Amino acid sequence: MSRLRALFLIPVLTLAGCPGTNEAKPTAATDRTGGTLVISTPSGPDNLMPPITVQNSGLQVEDLVFQHLATVGPALNSIGDDGFTPDLATSWDWSRDSLSIAFHLDTTARWHDGEHVRASDVAFTFDLYKDPKTGAAAAAQLANIDSVSTPDAATAVFWFRKHTPDQFFEATMQMQILPAHLLRTLDRATLASAPIASQPVGSGPFRVVRWESGKTIELAADTAGGRRRAYLDRVIFTQAADPVTAFTRVATGEADLYEAVRPDKVAEVVKNAQLKLIIAPSLNYNFLILNLVDPITGKPHPVFGDRTVRRALTMATDRRSIVANIYDSLAVQARGPFTSAQASADTTLRPMPYSVDSANKLLDATGWVRGADSLRRKNGKVLGFTIAVPSSSLPRVRASVLFQEQFRRVGADVKVESSDNSAFGARMSARNFDATIGAWAQDAGPANARDAWTTAAAAKGLNNYGAYRSAAFDAELDSALTVRSATESHTHFARAWKIITDDAPAIWLAEPRLAMAINSRFVTTGMRVDSWWAGIPKWYIPADKRIARDAPAAVAR
Amino acid sequence: MRALIQRIGQGFVVIAIVATATFVLIRLAPGDPFSGALENAHLTPALRAQWRAAYGLDGNIGTQYVRWIWALLHGDLGWSVSTNQPVARSIAAALPNTLWLMGFALLLSFAIGMSLGALQAARRNRATDHVIGAVTLFGAALPDFWLASVVLLTGAYWFRVFPAGLATDPLLPLAASFGTVLRDRLSHLVLPVLTLVILIAAPVARQQRTALLDRLGADWVRTATAKGVEPWTVFRRHAWRTALGPVVTLGGLALPALVGGSVFVERVFQWPGMGALVASAIDARDYHLVVGCVLVGAMMVVVGSIVADVLSQRLDPRAVQIETDLARVTT
Repeated sequence: MSRLRALFLIPVLTLAGCPGTNEAKPTAATDRTGGTLVISTPSGPDNLMPPITVQNSGLQVEDLVFQHLATVGPALNSIGDDGFTPDLATSWDWSRDSLSIAFHLDTTARWHDGEHVRASDVAFTFDLYKDPKTGAAAAAQLANIDSVSTPDAATAVFWFRKHTPDQFFEATMQMQILPAHLLRTLDRATLASAPIASQPVGSGPFRVVRWESGKTIELAADTAGGRRRAYLDRVIFTQAADPVTAFTRVATGEADLYEAVRPDKVAEVVKNAQLKLIIAPSLNYNFLILNLVDPITGKPHPVFGDRTVRRALTMATDRRSIVANIYDSLAVQARGPFTSAQASADTTLRPMPYSVDSANKLLDATGWVRGADSLRRKNGKVLGFTIAVPSSSLPRVRASVLFQEQFRRVGADVKVESSDNSAFGARMSARNFDATIGAWAQDAGPANARDAWTTAAAAKGLNNYGAYRSAAFDAELDSALTVRSATESHTHFARAWKIITDDAPAIWLAEPRLAMAINSRFVTTGMRVDSWWAGIPKWYIPADKRIARDAPAAVAR
Repeated sequence: MRALIQRIGQGFVVIAIVATATFVLIRLAPGDPFSGALENAHLTPALRAQWRAAYGLDGNIGTQYVRWIWALLHGDLGWSVSTNQPVARSIAAALPNTLWLMGFALLLSFAIGMSLGALQAARRNRATDHVIGAVTLFGAALPDFWLASVVLLTGAYWFRVFPAGLATDPLLPLAASFGTVLRDRLSHLVLPVLTLVILIAAPVARQQRTALLDRLGADWVRTATAKGVEPWTVFRRHAWRTALGPVVTLGGLALPALVGGSVFVERVFQWPGMGALVASAIDARDYHLVVGCVLVGAMMVVVGSIVADVLSQRLDPRAVQIETDLARVTT
């Protein structure tokens, strides 16, 4: 209770509807230049080669080192080009039939090795991403782009197979432009092991100074290009896997920012005068996936194959209290397979109510009858299943135990099986589970649900792990992704969410929020819901708040 | 000498068996280097299969073993997927940090542990013995992860005397003077070394005390005392020296830690050493890195045990005598 009170009494910075977070009074640009940001990060990147990077920590670095042609706006609109801001491209022209877009590149842009950025780099990048040999995760999102032509050195024209609402988003946000002159001769199948994947050369606001695997990545502001330089001189990522150590480094001032503050540390951040707390919505949501297929027989699951039973089990769970128990104030209850921050969200959708009585009635009606031991049985079989969880995720382990207890109250015999992350992954891929606490970390695009919940993704080997199949849901989602009007699209999304939540192939649990502790000497701005780090080039430290490590002498290495 | 050559030969066999067993066991564990990262819906199993092939992790275990042995014969330990660099480079980066940390910790632990054990034996059944015994028992019983967290919070957070983790200050300028660099390294060393000393010195002290009490009751000690030799000389030359055997054995067994590090302590203090490396490699199912680390560890165990055997024999005159007698018999 005291923690909650502390949260309400002391100003907490939030991102929602406040893109200019913590903007101080105007300061001359020259006064803003300089300083060092030290980020305490829980894990290091897998590599720094954008097409094949998976880890979030790698994506953070790449967003500072490389450029998109244009970047999505704070509202994350992906229909047309509304809200997009120029990045490597200074402007763009749509063809009359909308089947091509010509991007005009910044003619002053340079790679960090001094070479000019050319349209041929854009064409090369597209070819690299699409090449199956590369193994780019985004390749499937580029399927609608037929080719990229280069009428001159500063113009790249994207040719599309069909006009879709998110074609601009696909052309700009799914790729970061790469230097053709450094990558052309490399074997695309083993890009991750090429030296340039550790010492990348981009055209973004920061260049990589050094990467000591498992320890540190140091970035320095690039001053060679024609764009306005980043205010900060340096951004240093220091890796600290242990959350106590990572937090302690920020609390003691050894680091400036920690992005994964746990609920039990929130009050401590609020009390620390050197720190400020930023709480922001995220694009992540988690849920209890119910496997609709029996992992042993391959037939409909004896428990979850029945829609009424799934609905009953959903009603049996007090999701609001589970969320509060695990996340305190750092999450809200999820309504469906989306987050409130997405343009496709339907914030009027009401989750299935929590009602143990209704759950019991539904289970009785489906023939699952309570025995003397208070367990339900049907045809001699107990209403039982296991929940698989990765032991590395404390919130998921706790959620599984709370679910177990709530299912017990309606007569279900539930066991929790935890395993390490790799073993858990193998189990998920093999669909060898009854139920599991899953999570999706989405990007800003509208098509995330297609890869996770549609019939097309239900086949073994794809990512609809519970094998949910609904032609009605597929049709509504498809319409939502193809209509050109934002209002119409939203209507179809809302219908799709209603269908899937009524079918209950999962019990939607939480939308965790980002809780970040940052040293109060920083003025932060331009954070986006999909990437809080997007605004770092515009962050600055007022001259009177700088400390020893912000001085230019400390920067010289 | 012949025995030594035999031990070295046995050592090679042990190393080969350990490396092969690790190679097989880590692959039998569920998951592989590309089975994680499940939260990105764009990553398909087909893509993961492609990555496996790119890193030579496709095919059956026999094929992979042949590939690995062939690469090993060419001095290549393979590619580490989790650190994105050759295994040899990952180990080369972590090994000096662990040697630095564990070298200090073992040296101090044995010096302190042996001194405390000797003091206890000399003051047998007195208050000093009881107090040190209780303290060392408490030290030996502490869980390493908990102790490391408490030391970190005390030294770095509550009192803010030492840095919270890492082996060096990442902001240290390259042009920093030798004195600055040394100060920085030592300040980062204090808390993890303190943790390790509490954990290691306790069993050393207990071992030393037991061994010394055993020797103090021996015939030759009684004889020396009866002959009027100074008590301190009896204690030092006739009891303590012969009681070093068990401690040296303990030291030999601890030698692999010099290379293997301490997983929990390195993890809590974010010390970029071998312990943290191998733990994260196992988590990530980074096959080549796990086998590489185990290979280096196994080599150190073999070397450590041979060194401990040789030292024990040199320290204990009876062993030397037996060896000489045996040599006479065989000739």
